[in-house]
Amino acid sequence: MTIKQKTFRWLLFVWLAATIWAAFFYAPLSQGFAGKMGDAPQSSRIVFFHVPLAVASFFAFLVAAAWSGVYLWKRRSIDDHRAVAAIEVGMLYCVLATVTGAVWSKVQWGAYWNWDPRQSSIVLALLYYGAYLSLRGAVEDSEVRARLSAVYAVLGFVVAPFLFFILPRMASFSLHPTPGSAEMDREIGLVVVAAIAGFTALFCWIASLRRRVLDLNAEAG
Amino acid sequence: MMSWLGETWAILSKEWRCELRSRYALSTVLLFAITTLIAVSISVGPAGATPEQRPLMPVLLWLILLFAATAGLPRTFVHEEETHTADPLRLAARPSCLFCGKTLYNLTLLLVLEAVVTPLFLVLLQVEVADLWSFAIALLVGGVGLAVGSTLIAAMVAQARARGPLFAVLAFPILLPLLKLVIDASFVAVAGEAQSPALGLAVLYDSMVTVASLMLFPVVWNP
Repeated sequence: MTIKQKTFRWLLFVWLAATIWAAFFYAPLSQGFAGKMGDAPQSSRIVFFHVPLAVASFFAFLVAAAWSGVYLWKRRSIDDHRAVAAIEVGMLYCVLATVTGAVWSKVQWGAYWNWDPRQSSIVLALLYYGAYLSLRGAVEDSEVRARLSAVYAVLGFVVAPFLFFILPRMASFSLHPTPGSAEMDREIGLVVVAAIAGFTALFCWIASLRRRVLDLNAEAG
Repeated sequence: MMSWLGETWAILSKEWRCELRSRYALSTVLLFAITTLIAVSISVGPAGATPEQRPLMPVLLWLILLFAATAGLPRTFVHEEETHTADPLRLAARPSCLFCGKTLYNLTLLLVLEAVVTPLFLVLLQVEVADLWSFAIALLVGGVGLAVGSTLIAAMVAQARARGPLFAVLAFPILLPLLKLVIDASFVAVAGEAQSPALGLAVLYDSMVTVASLMLFPVVWNP
């Protein structure tokens, strides 16, 4: 392990620890979520974990589509490994974002699941990348597998705007807060941005470890 | 060297000639759709759809069409791999012609399916369509999207194991946004309501997926 990697890991550790501390002790409660009862609920602190997870998973899928495009262009297996690693870790983030969202939805809205447009989109994203992984499982030859799954990942990004931007807007109503709808204090915004940076860096680190495992497996045959 | 259109036409006519010899896809797709339609009709009851059930009718129609398409469309490419005709085809035709020919074949197959199933559906379930033209256009736009998406996925699935189940797994997440849009458009046509953006968005979906498929198909097809 090089010095640079070690520094990165320590910085990441300190950064995430500080962000988690700030999420609970520095940031005030969001008044945007205060119901008719008065006080803003502690549950509004979900914003420091749920939102960064969702943003980072979207980033992961974007990165995966980009590496898939690079694979189709250059045909190096390392790019394929990068794309798979990003999708696998992105799936993990996506599942965590779904679960944290559902738990918060139970507290705030009274039901774990209500097919809010955002919930539908995230389920479709999970279905899609689940299909990607089962496609990889169904092809034996590593070159064909890389080629087909890269095509599928790129195709997904043609359909993604419909899932994430068009269909949620077409729905008649949504309870899901959007940036801007819930007023936020400056401190809250600061911690959210710090958490997005931290979770994205964590994603990059886990994905790079996964990519190295895939490289070594391919070398071993 | 044949012209681009001539080559596409040659693929399309070859597909239909093979199909009319065995009638495998045609009979599978039609019988599948009609069986499902009868099951739906029996469960809804002899009086047809009640006013409360009416919003569900386009959903049922499109589900029948989607699953029938899933049963028949992957065959176009799976068949080529099974009979070892894929490699000669790689030599004989340009990828873009092959893709367009196969897509047109799937589209015509779907249009035959829609032409048989939709009137039966409307009659058996006693659904009255307020705006027949919009309804027909929604069927056409949905058919184009289904044909393009399925053709590309079929070409991918033909190179993998477990082709049947894999086709459904891969195709549904890609086709679901289209399905949602055409269901909305059909519902608007049945109810005769004011225009909704659904049909236009479905056309947008069709064109985006068509362009992407034309760019991606050569990569799928040529090793």
